[in-house]
Amino acid sequence: MQNLLKILLRYSNFLVFIALEVAAFLLISMNNAYPRSSLLSTANEFIAWQHAQISEITGYFSLRSQNEQLAAENAALLNQIYSMDSARNEVVFLCNHAKVVQMTTDRLHNYLTINRGSKDGLQRGQGIINEEGVVGIVKTVGRNYSVAIPLISTYTNLSCRFAKNDYICALKWDGKDNRFAQLTEVSAHMVVNPGDTVITSGLTPVFPEGIPVGIVESSTLKEGDSYHTIRVRLSTNFKRLKYVKIVQNPHQTELEDLENGLD
Amino acid sequence: MDWTKQLGRYVVIMLLQVLLFDQLQLWGVCHPYIYVLCLLMLPITMPHNVEMLIGASAGLIMDIFCNSLGVHMAACILLMFIRPYLLGAIVNDKERLNEQISLRAIGMEALLKYVIILVLIHHLTVFSLAAWSWHYIGFVLLETIISSFITISIVIGYNAMKYK
Repeated sequence: MQNLLKILLRYSNFLVFIALEVAAFLLISMNNAYPRSSLLSTANEFIAWQHAQISEITGYFSLRSQNEQLAAENAALLNQIYSMDSARNEVVFLCNHAKVVQMTTDRLHNYLTINRGSKDGLQRGQGIINEEGVVGIVKTVGRNYSVAIPLISTYTNLSCRFAKNDYICALKWDGKDNRFAQLTEVSAHMVVNPGDTVITSGLTPVFPEGIPVGIVESSTLKEGDSYHTIRVRLSTNFKRLKYVKIVQNPHQTELEDLENGLD
Repeated sequence: MDWTKQLGRYVVIMLLQVLLFDQLQLWGVCHPYIYVLCLLMLPITMPHNVEMLIGASAGLIMDIFCNSLGVHMAACILLMFIRPYLLGAIVNDKERLNEQISLRAIGMEALLKYVIILVLIHHLTVFSLAAWSWHYIGFVLLETIISSFITISIVIGYNAMKYK
């Protein structure tokens, strides 16, 4: 027993090192297990508040472009009133003008913090859009703030369809350019042209059908490949993201109950 | 050792880190983590275990700001674990290591070696753990080299300024 204690004391530095590293790696794997929520993040009140203050100050520098954006949004909304299509009718917005208080666009796993939280009824897994198109999905909800994963994250796997023929495909992001994403699972027999519009499929309860995702920029099909390699220009400009809307599916609980009943 | 001075420096450096250096978005590959300055310049009068605990807390605080739970923590613990061994290997005159790590105490050559090696290890660990996949290895190496260059310049600059 005494010998064991001696050995433990002698190597205590190394043992403490190993114990601390194990703790760190546990935290990393917990945090990487998307979509499980993380304990500590910018959804934390103090950190989010501090980011909100920064955004409050820097907000003044982009007033002009924000005004333009608001004007464009107004025009788009008027258009919608005149040409209500049935799919959009089902969209219920939980809140219309959540402000993005913090966002990264240049990392492999980007995230954004918005100033709405559980007190506004936000829940994990709800969709976020703006007037341009799809933005992302809520990941962690705090009381007043939430953290979301944008489309430009290597975690992204969004179910989409081509507007022209309803062909279903999946959108992923390769971590390189915040303007472009990639479409996968498009078979070789499908004809893809630059300029084709990609919209949400409506197959998952997160986003309603028909929200713009992007426009095909280029597509290549190598000899012997069974899938196209497609580059999509995203509708949403993540560099200038300021205000977003949270989508609420009125049938979410019902759909979840149905899916849980399957198991 | 003057704890208030150490803590004050940590607060100022963290403010710079979060308000200025985290906002930099240069070509997507430049994320200097200058907060390691506080860990590198910590005097080596404490037990090794305590040093590693300090590293773990500094990393965890940075992680909360970055939404990268555990990544900075792992890198900082590694940095604090290697630190005394590395110092022992590159500083010949052990007497000089009694309290402060500074340009005056250990000289330019040893300081450069010390800062470059530890910053490279720390940044490489942070970026590879954040990527969490071999797929991005080229990107991670580029990110490490560019970001480390800036961090190293700032740490050396800080020491040169104090020397005057």
